[in-house]
Amino acid sequence: MAADSSISSSSAPPPLVALAGWLVPGAGYWLIGQRVRAMTVGVTILAVFVLGILISGIRVVQAPDMTAPGNVAQRILTRPWFIGQVLIGPVGLGSAYVSDQLAHSARYRNIEAKARLAEIGTLYTAVAGMLNLLTLIDAAYRAARK
Amino acid sequence: MFMPISILHPPSLASPTLAYVPFVYPLPIWDYWPWLIVPLCLGVAIVYKSVKCQHMTMVPKEAIQIFVWILVGMMAAAGALAGVVKLVVEK
Repeated sequence: MAADSSISSSSAPPPLVALAGWLVPGAGYWLIGQRVRAMTVGVTILAVFVLGILISGIRVVQAPDMTAPGNVAQRILTRPWFIGQVLIGPVGLGSAYVSDQLAHSARYRNIEAKARLAEIGTLYTAVAGMLNLLTLIDAAYRAARK
Repeated sequence: MFMPISILHPPSLASPTLAYVPFVYPLPIWDYWPWLIVPLCLGVAIVYKSVKCQHMTMVPKEAIQIFVWILVGMMAAAGALAGVVKLVVEK
């Protein structure tokens, strides 16, 4: 399969490849012509993220409260797993938005996974984001090596 | 009159009883949580080998191999930790 070889068929700049990989998991590989690799990692990463939300519920993705006291680093470190979750791109940001909406709704604000299920869902979503970081670095490296 | 459909209050959830809603409520798998390690390990194995392998034709075989190794390693670690708990903590 020529599209899967290490030789890229496109000359996209590495920063653009990395950005595309963050926006849509696997899109970085797609830009450099490695379409099977793009589909494989994209579908797998999104499946892991969605499975994490299915296990724990959408409230497992929670953005830090930026109105809380302290500096920016302290606010972010109140929810450190969001750093991993946001690496999956707009899907993670959208999930955090929906989660925030549910947290402010009268009907669903108390619906939140606890204990093991919360930990497992957090692990799934954060690992999905970190796997996406791995793939976008690799895609950018392959684009630069051309 | 236009009525926007809210994701927070979909029409099907109008009843007062709270039915299970996928992606909102946690999955009711309290007794089976150790099995959740399997799909996570499979996902990690596929993505890792997709990054490492030069050609995608090698990925299925290599991913299955590393998937099995991760599970064996996790089971060994779990067994060792359970042994420590039995011998040290519960003694």
